[in-house]
Amino acid sequence: MLTHIIILLDDTSVSYCHYDNNGAKRLLITLNDLKAGIIWAMKENLNIQFVYPDYALPDEYNKTIETIDHTKIKPDVQAKDADVLVLTDWKNRLLPAINGATCIIKASRKELNDDHEKIMEVLNMAERLNIVITDIDSFTDKEIDDYKAFLDRLADGVSKMYSQGKTAQINLLTDRIMLNEMNNCNAGSSNVTLAPNGRFYLCPAFYYDNPQNDVGNLQEGLCIKNQQLLCLDHAPICRRCDAYQCRRCVWMNSKLTMDANTPSHQQCVVAHLERNASRLLQQILQEKGISLNPSYEIEEINYLDPFNIVNRWK
Amino acid sequence: MEIRKIVGQVTPEERAEIQALFERKNGLTELAKIVDANNTELYEKLVKDMGETGTKFQQWWDNKAKQYGWESHPKGNWEINFQTNEITLVVNEA
Amino acid sequence: MEQIEIKKSDQGWQNGMAKSITFIVTKDCQLACKYCYLVGKNTKERMTWEVAKEAIDYILDREEDFREESVVWDFIGGEPFLEIELIDKICDYLKTEMYRRNHHWFNSYRFSFSTNGINYHTEKVQKFIEKNKNHLSIGITIDGTKRKHDLNRIWKTPEMEQGKMPKPEEEKGSYDDVVKNIPLWLCQFPGAATKVTIASPDIPYIKESVLHLYALGIKEVNINCVFENVWKEGDDALFEEQLTELADAIIDMDLYKDHACSFYQEFIGKPMDPERDNQNWCGAGKMLAVDAAGNFYPCTRFAAYSLRSKPAWIIGNTHDGIDQNKLRPFLTLDRSTQSPRECMECEVASGCAWCQGENYDAADTHTVYQRATAICMMHKARVRANNYYWNKLFRKLELQEYEEQKRKSMNIVC
Repeated sequence: MLTHIIILLDDTSVSYCHYDNNGAKRLLITLNDLKAGIIWAMKENLNIQFVYPDYALPDEYNKTIETIDHTKIKPDVQAKDADVLVLTDWKNRLLPAINGATCIIKASRKELNDDHEKIMEVLNMAERLNIVITDIDSFTDKEIDDYKAFLDRLADGVSKMYSQGKTAQINLLTDRIMLNEMNNCNAGSSNVTLAPNGRFYLCPAFYYDNPQNDVGNLQEGLCIKNQQLLCLDHAPICRRCDAYQCRRCVWMNSKLTMDANTPSHQQCVVAHLERNASRLLQQILQEKGISLNPSYEIEEINYLDPFNIVNRWK
Repeated sequence: MEIRKIVGQVTPEERAEIQALFERKNGLTELAKIVDANNTELYEKLVKDMGETGTKFQQWWDNKAKQYGWESHPKGNWEINFQTNEITLVVNEA
Repeated sequence: MEQIEIKKSDQGWQNGMAKSITFIVTKDCQLACKYCYLVGKNTKERMTWEVAKEAIDYILDREEDFREESVVWDFIGGEPFLEIELIDKICDYLKTEMYRRNHHWFNSYRFSFSTNGINYHTEKVQKFIEKNKNHLSIGITIDGTKRKHDLNRIWKTPEMEQGKMPKPEEEKGSYDDVVKNIPLWLCQFPGAATKVTIASPDIPYIKESVLHLYALGIKEVNINCVFENVWKEGDDALFEEQLTELADAIIDMDLYKDHACSFYQEFIGKPMDPERDNQNWCGAGKMLAVDAAGNFYPCTRFAAYSLRSKPAWIIGNTHDGIDQNKLRPFLTLDRSTQSPRECMECEVASGCAWCQGENYDAADTHTVYQRATAICMMHKARVRANNYYWNKLFRKLELQEYEEQKRKSMNIVC
């Protein structure tokens, strides 16, 4: 069931997820489409998330946006009033006033390893940090130990924060401890995206990949074919998996395996490394007397890719 | 005139043994049609293999016939059905 | 009790568990069969020896990735025997390399061909057969009676290659050119099976065609309806009628004892458990196909020339190797995820087949997880005829046994 709509205000709206829109040129959504999008969302009873570009919007746009309850996803250079702040140059730029916003860092695997201290600095300032790994598609099994080492260092930093009385929330580690079921992106099943061209897409990534690939428009409404294949119960590998923090990105699935309901090997491995690191963190915190979700302990498993044990389920 | 009579049956494991030897023997025979004697290394390996496989093949029949005491005939030979594991005595009266 | 003889359909060499690797050696064919799913046949794309060798070396170099005990090296086209010289060279190389490398497949392999049979008798093809006799599986496609066969399996003309289709009266069927090779084929491969394809226009000729094939000496007829959406209203009723009449003929003439027809199988037409009976039976993903460009596919059905409305689903090539991620959707496909509710609740579901290639080609999105169900009404018609067949056959056998017991008891003297 749809619960959210993401409205891209401009073609250069900040990227807050795996996709890249570096080549985009400024193209602001028309005011009519913005208003129509808001009305459509109201009638469908959806929460709205506006994604902002790196420049100030005209006043009439801001006024229109303020007519409805919403979430602002903004780049750090337009940090004022942001609910979700994408730190676009987090390695070099001074951190803005975060003021309780959820922060998003997009980083490559190399950057995660090289700039670990900076990441901890952000985590210390933010209520919550989401790390988006930009190059999961090229992850190979040879890097398993490197990523595990990164997660271990992160876990060490998080456990120290908890010991100092701070509650750190980070998608790669603490989410899994707190979850009892899947918490995925659900693009196309619980949320859709309205692009600046007035058409709907499963998510911004599909728009930037191919604007012809829409799933409807404001005039005719939504038309998502095979929507059931975007849902967890129609994903044979995922529906039995317990790496609940995985985003189950259907765009990455489509890119790497060519079928939206099937995750790639590297996505599964990365998600399970995070799951296992969460398990260890849960244990470490428990030993310190800090219980996070004590009624649900993460079990030990002996695989990193559930595809390899699919036959057990048959 | 050909007379056929089922004279015994082997276990699936025994069938698998002779089937593997049968397949290998056929493979070697067909390979021999195309391997040049000038390709010394391969040729010598093949000749040796054909000898060994042929011997193992014959030994299987000799051993099993003795073990099970299958009926035989001076003008006959045994065949195995790989689906049913049955041994058939085929006699050519001609 | 007398042993009941009912010939069962052959499950295939190694019960179908061998790895199947298909070389698409050519897209050329002498014929232009109307139902052929190969929409993009042409005379230009022929596999070269270099590409074939690269593919073979890639596969044999990775013995640890191909752990199946047995292999079927399959050759298709178009018409594969148009490339008999290439095939001969490929097979010689395969035999030599499997042996030289001590590859486990040397002990368990087959070369498989599905041919239109037209040049089966030629010297080069016969020499190849003689050379590889013990490792061959050759199926000749003969569609039944002359009138049924020639309805669809017509000779290609130069005008057709320009896109100009002949009038019905100008079409030349290939039956006469194929049937003359059947005795030779059966002599060389006793027990060989033929594959017959049924589309809408063929339905009225099913009964006569199967009986005709039996009369030619072919004891195993694998006959199936196409998966594509070609069916018209009334086709299912006519299909059921044909299969029922065929059942009568097979049973009344005792043909069931040593002839098999894949339409009639005991397990067909039962409900299926959503969890216990959830396996994928289609081998796409477990098979491997390679084309003239050295591209790998999960099955030939995903090559561009087999597809009407989707791009090819390439999973790799001989240079870069196989991208295992692109195989994952095929290897995790199951019945429940692809099937609509109607299929999952169907009371006669067992034996209702699917083809992942047709799933993909007919799907609304880029997926193999949308089951193509055009075949539904034909399956249900088949189930009814199949039920009739087995009820009639078992009753006949029951009565025969009763008569036999009665006869024996009358001989007992107290």
